[in-house]
Amino acid sequence: MTDSGLFDPKPRAVVIADLVDRSRRRLETLDDKSLVPLLEDALYHERKRVSDQGHEIVEEVLLDELARALVRGDRYSRIESALHLVKHWADEVHGHFDPRMYRFSTHLLPRALNGLLAGRPHRVRDIRGGWQRRLKVEGDVAWIRELAKEATLVLAPTHVSNLDSPLIGLALHQSGLPPFVYGAGLNLFKNPVMGFFMSRLGAYTVDRTKRAALYKDVLKDYSVRSLTTRHHSLFFPGGTRSRSGEIERHVKKGLLGTGITAWQEMLAAGRKDSEVYVVPLTLSFQLTLEANTLAGDHLAEAGKQRYIITDDEFAQPREVLAFGRRVLDLEASCIAHFGEPVDCLGMPVARDAAERAEQSRHRRQYVCDRDGNVQLDAQRDRVYTDRLADALVEAYPRGSWVMETHLAAWAAWQCLAKQVGTDDPFRIIRVPRLGRIVRDEDFRATLGAALDRLKALEQQGACHLALPADIDRILATALDRFSRYHRSRALAREGRDLIVEDPKLALYYRNRLTWADLGGES
Amino acid sequence: MAKTRRKKNEGMKVGILGGGRWGQALARLAMAAGNQPFIAYRDVKPPQILPSTDNPPEVAEQCDLLLVATSASETRRAIQLAKPGPSNRVVLAGRGLEPATGKWLGLVVEEECDAVRIGALAGPAPIDEILNGGLCAGVVASPFQEVRQLVITALHSSRYRVYESHDLTGVQLAGAFVPVLATALGLASGLRGSGVGMRAMVLARGLEEAGRLSRALGGDSSTLAGLAGVGDLVAVHGQAGSPYFEAGLKLAKGRREDGPLPIARALVTRARAAGVELPISEALVGIYDGMDPLTAVGELMGRASQMEHR
Repeated sequence: MTDSGLFDPKPRAVVIADLVDRSRRRLETLDDKSLVPLLEDALYHERKRVSDQGHEIVEEVLLDELARALVRGDRYSRIESALHLVKHWADEVHGHFDPRMYRFSTHLLPRALNGLLAGRPHRVRDIRGGWQRRLKVEGDVAWIRELAKEATLVLAPTHVSNLDSPLIGLALHQSGLPPFVYGAGLNLFKNPVMGFFMSRLGAYTVDRTKRAALYKDVLKDYSVRSLTTRHHSLFFPGGTRSRSGEIERHVKKGLLGTGITAWQEMLAAGRKDSEVYVVPLTLSFQLTLEANTLAGDHLAEAGKQRYIITDDEFAQPREVLAFGRRVLDLEASCIAHFGEPVDCLGMPVARDAAERAEQSRHRRQYVCDRDGNVQLDAQRDRVYTDRLADALVEAYPRGSWVMETHLAAWAAWQCLAKQVGTDDPFRIIRVPRLGRIVRDEDFRATLGAALDRLKALEQQGACHLALPADIDRILATALDRFSRYHRSRALAREGRDLIVEDPKLALYYRNRLTWADLGGES
Repeated sequence: MAKTRRKKNEGMKVGILGGGRWGQALARLAMAAGNQPFIAYRDVKPPQILPSTDNPPEVAEQCDLLLVATSASETRRAIQLAKPGPSNRVVLAGRGLEPATGKWLGLVVEEECDAVRIGALAGPAPIDEILNGGLCAGVVASPFQEVRQLVITALHSSRYRVYESHDLTGVQLAGAFVPVLATALGLASGLRGSGVGMRAMVLARGLEEAGRLSRALGGDSSTLAGLAGVGDLVAVHGQAGSPYFEAGLKLAKGRREDGPLPIARALVTRARAAGVELPISEALVGIYDGMDPLTAVGELMGRASQMEHR
């Protein structure tokens, strides 16, 4: 058995036919009271989308056909016209994974990425292996490699930046893990070079501007199909990059729930390799490429936040290169921590293989009747997925690495909040420059108290510290990092004291520690 | 329709952990709904007419649905003995919180066994009336629709109506709060110079503080106004003759015996952690800890005026 179904791809037509068939089965179980609103919803959202963005002729034809079927057609023609739309979407979603391209690029890509991240390599060694010191991989990777051989894995990372995907790819390669399929935004495919490589490296297309429930079902079906054909999959359960800088406290459950559906499909088919395990992955960065844009968006007036941002720093190659040169070139500037795998119900997975086999036998009772037959129950599965989501949200901080920038920003923000006499971030960011000077003594006292609390949390296994032992070095490193990339600094020296130059950035980086409950709101 | 009738005739096997009077009452309700109860008892065997065993795992093995009809302090032990598995649906028919630890009983079940499909049954339970064929109603709460449906199939009949709720937190909290408020009502009735005004105040403000805590813990405050809260408190426990009400009367006379002190203490601890004030419950704990009841009432009445609903 190979570690991944990606190396045994099925013909495109087979995949698309299967997706259409899944939609057909679902639509045929609906009565007209449910079917018609579902199709009307698809028509409404798609018409709105194409009028906002422009469209291809084929979409116009398909939508006209659906509209005619809704007005004048019978049940059969409504379902058939919806399936034509589904087929169009399925074709768009399906990737073009190419095993030869994968093998070629896994040799080439780390070096190319390393060249990008190193910026100005001084020695050949910098290009050939330097990325191993820049991107640190933590967690029990050997165990996850073992699980990848006997089960299908879902990797569920936190989402900080658009650089997450290539860095996760690098972390997987570095860890000797097989490739994972993942959904990438349609906007990332617009670049022909990126699109060519991404689709051939296991990315499938997700168009987040398509809001119709019918489309979301196609994505879920694609995910279920991928998992049941042993494609390890990567979802960002947060859905989008964290705007506030916080580690995800809530996750979306749509794609996450496909794990349990796939597991039950494989159980019903009597598969021995039916298990689906979910691996939390926490990404920790000293600095974030798009921090300015994300922080600004977080503080945008309620309801005006953008779910999709296309005009941020990631869209500017110069910014990406500058970030690579000034930030990612640093020792351990980002850490990818693989957490302990859980099953689709959020329960821990045993390390011992025999115990795991026993767990599998035991686990099926959660979805099977006393005769061992799978009992489908979508409502029950939603509650199980809620439990899985809770398990991930609990696991993320445990895999987080507290860095100098996070702690210094936290202490500076707390001092500022105390000086202003409020926890309201909107009032704090409007304080004039002179009011943003923080006394060095106050800062050190606040940082010291937070450090003590974090050390206690680390002892309890609640997080990890990537920090030097003394406050001087923490502060010096933080000031250096803040000066490296962002146009304005979150924190800087002002004579003997410190100044919060850019309170939005300070808030963004301090929010990384919200989970630790160190005190203070915002 | 034919299918429903056939199912009713066959009936389902309803497991009940606890052979006491509440367990027996639930068994009678299951029989009234056309089902077969199967009780796991520890010390005293229930009447012959009610099928039972002193081997609790047998009940977990044979019944998908297990109703836990022990006192809250005995729930952990009952689960340890019965060892429910992943296929069991466990419904707690006790008082919400484990007194010794202050943990939700649902959490106690998860700590002690592999069952995760958990629910809670609450509401007025006048056991004598139920055993004598009186009419009554209860509410079952669970995030799992299948658990709620199983309890309805098991117990809903022309004698006992079962209502559904998603609010497991609220129903468990109501189950825990009712004894505390019933004791406070008993205390208010027994104090020198008290009248209906004071009882009404304790009732309304007690329910308000329970609702406040429920909201803070993710529950729905309206659950407190339903069968699990007002229904249970006003009709059953807030009356002379109820053990909790009697404990309050004794407390008014300075006799600090029995009573729901561990549960009240657990609720107060939970509320403090959630940043919620429970003035009446805190006063009750203070009285059990030695404070003079009249002083406690004086302090409550001396508080500043506030919005009725916070």
